[in-house]
Amino acid sequence: MRLDDSDEERAFRSELRAWLRTAVPAAPDGLPPQWTDGELRAWSAALHEAGYAGLTWPVEHGGRGLSPAYQAVFAEESALAEAPDQANVIGLNMVGPSIIAHGSEAQRAHHLPRILSGETTFCQGFSEPEAGSDLAALRTRATPVPGGYLLNGHKLWSSYAHLADHCLLLARTDPDAPRHRGLSCFLLDLRAPGVEVRPLRKLSGDDSFSEIVLRDVFTPADSVLGAPGDGWRVAMTTLAHERGTFGIALTARLAVQHARLRRTITAFGADRDPVVRREFAELHVELEGLRHTGYRALATLLRTGEPGPESTVVKLGWSRANQRLTALACRVAARADHPWYAHWTRERLRARTNTIEGGTSEVLLGVIAERVLGLPRSR
Amino acid sequence: MDLSLTPTQADIRAAARRYLDDRCPPSRPAEHAAELWPELVRTGWLDPDLGAVELVLLAEESGRALLPAPWWATTRAVPVYRAAGAELPGPVTSVDGTGSCVVRDGRLHGRCNAVVDARTCAEIVVAADTGDGVALFGVRPDAPGVTLTDRPGPDLLRTAADLVLTDVVGRLLLGPPAAAPVLAEVTRRSALLAAAEGVGVATRALEFAAEHARTRVQFGRPIGAFQAVGHALAECYADVEAARSLVYRAACAPDLPDAAHCATWSAARAAARCGETAIQVCGGMGVTWEFPLHRWYRRALWLEARVAAGPDPVDAIAAALLGPETVEGTP
Ligand SMILES: Cc1cc2nc3c(=O)[nH]c(=O)nc-3n(C[C@H](O)[C@H](O)[C@H](O)COP(=O)(O)OP(=O)(O)OC[C@H]3O[C@@H](n4cnc5c(N)ncnc54)[C@H](O)[C@@H]3O)c2cc1C
Repeated sequence: MRLDDSDEERAFRSELRAWLRTAVPAAPDGLPPQWTDGELRAWSAALHEAGYAGLTWPVEHGGRGLSPAYQAVFAEESALAEAPDQANVIGLNMVGPSIIAHGSEAQRAHHLPRILSGETTFCQGFSEPEAGSDLAALRTRATPVPGGYLLNGHKLWSSYAHLADHCLLLARTDPDAPRHRGLSCFLLDLRAPGVEVRPLRKLSGDDSFSEIVLRDVFTPADSVLGAPGDGWRVAMTTLAHERGTFGIALTARLAVQHARLRRTITAFGADRDPVVRREFAELHVELEGLRHTGYRALATLLRTGEPGPESTVVKLGWSRANQRLTALACRVAARADHPWYAHWTRERLRARTNTIEGGTSEVLLGVIAERVLGLPRSR
Repeated sequence: MDLSLTPTQADIRAAARRYLDDRCPPSRPAEHAAELWPELVRTGWLDPDLGAVELVLLAEESGRALLPAPWWATTRAVPVYRAAGAELPGPVTSVDGTGSCVVRDGRLHGRCNAVVDARTCAEIVVAADTGDGVALFGVRPDAPGVTLTDRPGPDLLRTAADLVLTDVVGRLLLGPPAAAPVLAEVTRRSALLAAAEGVGVATRALEFAAEHARTRVQFGRPIGAFQAVGHALAECYADVEAARSLVYRAACAPDLPDAAHCATWSAARAAARCGETAIQVCGGMGVTWEFPLHRWYRRALWLEARVAAGPDPVDAIAAALLGPETVEGTP
């Protein structure tokens, strides 16, 4: 058991850190910049050029064939450098690995190089008005027609869909099969006729997710990823690819927030307030607890190929800690008319999504209760 | 970075668990207590070369089983005997709480509060001011001039006594200046191993509750199927795993100024919370004397009191991150 990098990891980290220092523009006022859509696209291309796209993809598919440990270093360093989000994160971390695992030769040849280069950007179309936590309730229909399927339905909350040209879509191909059986996964071209992507505004004012309306959209038979009817399993494995390193990205971002909170506290003289000191220290304990739980999960992933059961607590704890942290920062910064107050208000509003996106806290607690503690199903 | 157990570490933990499951099942808390010590010595629990991670694993297992032997008290004092080049005389303990002792004319005088396992050990390590700095002495609990007064505490398996020394002959283990850094090491080990023990206590309390929630049926279903029960236990699991991670971090990075404080605070809290939630989930049975759970809860209360009696870890973390607390108006 050790906390320091191996020699290879250290070399990778310092090379990446040096590259990020030149590639990420410094924020003039100490606040993270707001990136435009154009800048996000350019960032995807820059990462590819520098060799940081597809780190864990096998070499024969254009990746670097590195272990998830390097993906974790990448996530950590990108967060620390406050690099732009990877707009193609769904393509690189979920869709690509799934195409490698389940895709046909033609799908691999067509999609993988484009995902790597940033030419193709994927979003994920799982949730629907009637299917949120209960994903298997989804109703979007894929009706077989000669040469393919006709899609009809309504997808919600699809992150980055306004930037994307493809969607990993889960739809019902067999309405008579049991709920989880009749589903198929599609690599849908969003430029097909009948697709409408409408940005939705979040309460923070951001519009980085969308609804997707599908009206008689034709998609060819070879756009099915995996076997028809096997969509549930394919969808679950796309979600699994990220487990193990995703939590490390989250806690690294939380560490950046925490460091900025420290600067906010000292700038406003709140470091003399015992209540603020206490809550700040408690947040630090939470942050370090989650960060090192993420490291444990990663270590188990590297040893066994599966992240340890403790990986289930990281997203849950991160979301709450971020909400608590931004609330404290708001209270501290509200004491003065300062640009940081506006920043922290936006962060606090944004943080409300954290306990909902990617599985609500209630659903995650249920997962821990059933799959880790072995309690009987509640439903 | 590799925050997982090496195969050897995993073996150590598995062997400790097998041994304790066999010797100290919850149904027989202290039946074999007298035989345990030589077995622990023989199987390497007192090996002076055990690293921090190995010790933490043993401490976790000892908390999980509530090992009824003075292993925690002894292990934290091992560095004293190692530095002195002395053999352990058997189970020992060391002063930990408040109080002060001095050396006058080669004799020890003073008092030390709440010395854990003071009655059952062969020797008590006493820190005393020599005038030239601190020295460490070994004092036999039955030596002339030693009085022990039992101190009431929550944990019947871990008792403590107040120690008064009047004109006592001790054996010098370490004099100044060597004693001070070793004493600091003892304090650090005490805290780290107490935190690890707390993780074991929390883990076991959660196991009791999860087992009960799987089998107890009310309203036609196992109570674990009710979300109010399942989610409460899932929250406990999140607390335990965070505390475990912080204990491992403190074992791997002892020089980080906040690491031991983070481990101490989160483990004590996890142990108390898991104990309390577990009792709630076990219902009426959970509050009986016969049901063993209260023994783990009592250890949690002992751990919490130990933290509360010392310097506040959260204040120490704040000081490490924000600098020392200054009073408004002072420079
Ligand atoms: C910022 C953001 C980005 C997102 N991005 C995407 C994306 O890219 N692609 C995509 O497909 N989806 C995306 N989602 C959707 C997300 O996965 C869903 O919002 C989430 O699964 C919850 O579904 P819901 O919103 O329908 O809420 P519901 O499922 O209706 O839940 C409402 C409330 O009921 C609770 N609840 C529901 N079921 C249970 C239960 N069994 N036990 C206890 N409580 C329960 C929930 O915890 C919640 O508090 C995103 C969501 C957000 C907020």
